[in-house]
Amino acid sequence: MSDMATTKSVQPGDRTQPAQRHTLQRTAQRRLVRLLFYMMVIAVSLMTVFPIYWMLVSTFQPNEYTLHFPPPLIPKEITVRQFAGLFANHPIALWLRNSAIIAITTMLVSTTLSVLGAYTLSSLRWPGRNLFGLFLLATQMLPEILVLIPIYGIFRRLDLLNNLTSLAVIDAAFILPICIWILKGVFDTVPTEVLDAAVVDGCTQLSVIWRIVLPLTVPGLVAVAVVSFFFAWNEYLYASILLGKANIMPASVGLSTLKAIGRTPVEQYMASGLIFSVFPVAFYLFMQRYIVSGLTAGAVKG
Amino acid sequence: MTQAVAAGPGGRGRRRWRRYLLPFALALPILLYEGVLVVYPIAQGIVGSFQRIELASNVAPTWVGLDNYARMFSDPSFWMVLRTTLIFTGLVILVAILTGLFTALLFNRPFWGRPVARGMMMMPWAMPEVPVVMIFIWILNPQFGVINVFARLLPGVTENPQWLQVPWLAMAWMVLIASWKAFPFYSLVILAALQAVPDEIYEAARVDGANAVQLFWHITIPSILTTLELLVVLASIFSFKQFTIIYLMTGGGPSGATETIVIRIYNTAFRFYDYSYATALGVAGFVVSLVIASVFILLQVRRTQENV
Repeated sequence: MSDMATTKSVQPGDRTQPAQRHTLQRTAQRRLVRLLFYMMVIAVSLMTVFPIYWMLVSTFQPNEYTLHFPPPLIPKEITVRQFAGLFANHPIALWLRNSAIIAITTMLVSTTLSVLGAYTLSSLRWPGRNLFGLFLLATQMLPEILVLIPIYGIFRRLDLLNNLTSLAVIDAAFILPICIWILKGVFDTVPTEVLDAAVVDGCTQLSVIWRIVLPLTVPGLVAVAVVSFFFAWNEYLYASILLGKANIMPASVGLSTLKAIGRTPVEQYMASGLIFSVFPVAFYLFMQRYIVSGLTAGAVKG
Repeated sequence: MTQAVAAGPGGRGRRRWRRYLLPFALALPILLYEGVLVVYPIAQGIVGSFQRIELASNVAPTWVGLDNYARMFSDPSFWMVLRTTLIFTGLVILVAILTGLFTALLFNRPFWGRPVARGMMMMPWAMPEVPVVMIFIWILNPQFGVINVFARLLPGVTENPQWLQVPWLAMAWMVLIASWKAFPFYSLVILAALQAVPDEIYEAARVDGANAVQLFWHITIPSILTTLELLVVLASIFSFKQFTIIYLMTGGGPSGATETIVIRIYNTAFRFYDYSYATALGVAGFVVSLVIASVFILLQVRRTQENV
């Protein structure tokens, strides 16, 4: 912008005044654009955050305000009594425990396997490497429901239904390709010279992974662990079908059985949603760079 | 590229074979794992679509040839479901990517508080789906839902609408909620692409007298076109797969208005216990997603070739 203004003002002498007026006009115009810009930013941010804000308001505000139409948009009073009520009326603690068991098992399986996959995809050259990568991409893109019906039949036959571990094993199969792509991106950043030097010094290829690559890529490993943990934590479809019994329900399924206004008071209903999402939101925001690069299969640097 | 050196110099015959031993050994557990848990079930599903299966009674499946497919193609509601899937997927792609593009353009300019605003914008994407459903069920509640406060500001709205009972409104909300959840991801990816465009190009064009609109159409859009292309395909995969939000909010209703193929497969299998017909529907869904996935893979291959 300023470049154009300068080029205009060095025009022949008799035209200085109109040029100056022009510049003034431009400043005013630029201020207006700036104002509009800030208004748009604020509008977009408010619309994006409002549903989450409303969850917080409905959780922490006593329900005599919330169950009133129109409800106040800014909370009038704050309370934390609903949490005690929630844990007393519903097996939330048990649901969260089940979710944690599924998530930890999924995390262990997919993190271990993704180290192998990412190393062979990133640092080794072999015929079929590209095919292996494409195979992973393809499995990642299939809708989960397509696999669910046959899996349900197979698990039924093998008596694997209503079993936290068997759900974790399936969850790991779905998140593994994404984990491998995330970790491949991280392994790519380890300089080849470092790997070569280790081999020259007498390291075997396998101990290169253990001694050189893993210590250098701890943040990436943490990212993969977090991604797989919360994939299983959030998962609803498979959990709702493969785990039918009430005592092994994970939180995602348990929460979906709560009904607003029905038997669960609104502030408890929203509080349960809040408890369930606090950790995934915090960790996803922290790890977003890695997750984005994995989901786009490294095509876009996040 | 860089990997070439890792294997070390020379190596033919037995040494070459030994060099490939490790990569295959590392890939094998993953191929087995995905093979047993994803590929084998899909193969089973394809076989099952030619059979009649009674899961509940443990009767052995019988071959019925193309019966399930004949039923599918002659069922008018199957074509309705395909239409709904197309409308839902298409609208989510449109709304989510345009919103992503718009916000990315906004957030590409420096302003006071940008890091905080950016972090806030990513929140819908980080939210698990079940709580998202809970929030919107509550917001759209016809009696107390806060959305009615805003709806009443519109001219002609004097009563709280039954948001999820009117077919077109229910569809509109499914699209809006799915887009709200998805757009931050697209925005982040587009933003990364925008920031990779060198400032000098813009400077040069401005010196040549280009205005903002021209800059947008002739510089910004062409430089992020491959990214947008990729995102359209990714978005079609993600929205085609969308299950939890629709299922928990409307179950496919009212009167089938939001029943996409994924919901139909689920209802057929787990509400009507019609497994063999559900697997045939599943194969139809598999074909569609395979087509989308191949487009994605083709784009990826083209990209890597361009980069090398």
